[in-house]
Amino acid sequence: MKRLILTTALVLSLSVPAFAAHPGGTVYADVNGLVCDFCARALEKVFGKQEAVESINVDLDTKVISIHFNEGQRLDDETITELITDSGYNVEEIRHGEE
Amino acid sequence: MRLICSSLFLGGLLGMGLFIPSVHARPVSYPGGWTAMLMNNGDVNSAHVHYSPTAKTSVGYKFEYWRDKDFTLNAVQMNNLLKRWNQKHSQANLYLKSGLGVAYSDAGDFDGETSAAGFTGIAADWENRRFFTSYENRYTEAGEIDDFYQQSARVGWAPYEGDYGDLHTWLMLQVDHSPESKDNFTVTPLVRFFKDVHLLEAGMNNRGEVLFNYVFRY
Repeated sequence: MKRLILTTALVLSLSVPAFAAHPGGTVYADVNGLVCDFCARALEKVFGKQEAVESINVDLDTKVISIHFNEGQRLDDETITELITDSGYNVEEIRHGEE
Repeated sequence: MRLICSSLFLGGLLGMGLFIPSVHARPVSYPGGWTAMLMNNGDVNSAHVHYSPTAKTSVGYKFEYWRDKDFTLNAVQMNNLLKRWNQKHSQANLYLKSGLGVAYSDAGDFDGETSAAGFTGIAADWENRRFFTSYENRYTEAGEIDDFYQQSARVGWAPYEGDYGDLHTWLMLQVDHSPESKDNFTVTPLVRFFKDVHLLEAGMNNRGEVLFNYVFRY
C-alpha cells in the first residue's frame, strides 16, 4: 500500500507540472526538410503569429515540432499542415497527445 | 549590335517579371521575413536587403561595387524558389535569381557612363546537417560598360551537429570561375558560423583576397 501511494505521488508530481506548463495541450508534427537552425526559426516565427499558439519547440534530431496551445484554443490539422507547407516544408504526420 | 542584345536581354527580364541574384546564402526567407546581406570578396562588395512575401519569392534592393571593373550597380532583385525537395534528413532547392537596375562607371574607358543593367542566374543547393553543396551561375549585362558570365560552386562539412539555438559551424570550399578573367579560377577555403539570426563567413582565396560575408534575418 505504501509503495502504491509513493508511486501515485511520483506519477502525479511528474504529470502535473507538464500539464501546468502547457494547459492548452500539445500537437506533434513530423516534418520533412528540417535540416538547419534557420528552418526551425522560420517555423517558430510563422506559428508565433498564431493567437492560439503558446509556443513551439523544434527538434532537429527527430524532425518533430511540438506545438503548445493556449488554454481553450487550438488549430486544426488542416491549418497546421497549411502553415508548415506555406513555410516551405512538408508534413509527414500530425499526432495528438503523444510524442 | 551590343546595344540591341542588351535591350533584348533587359526586355526579356522585364517580360518575364524577373530581377537579380546574390551568393550562397538562402535567397528566400519565410513568409513575412526580412534578410540583410553584406558580401565581400576579391571582385565585388555588395549589400542586399530583401523581403519574402511567401516562402517562394523574395523582392529587394541590391547594391554592388565591382572594384576591378570600375562600376557600381543599383538594382531591384527578385528571387524565385522554382523547386524544393524536402526529405526526412535533407533538403534541396532550385532558385532563379534576377535583377534589373542601373550601372554607373566611375573610372576607366567608360568613366561617367550610366547604363541600364540586369542580371540573371540559376542557383541550386543540397544540404543535410553534416554536408552542404551548392552551385550558381549568373550573367550580368551592363550595356556599354560591361557584360560577363560567372559561376561558382561550394562544398561544406559541419564538424558537429548543433541543436536549435546552438552555434553552428561549417568548413567550406568555394570555387569561382570567371571565363573572361585572366586568372579565371579562384579557390576559397572559408568558415561559416551561424547562430540565431546571424550568419558570418570568412575566408581567403588562392590570390590572397579576403572573403567576408554577413547575413542577418529578422
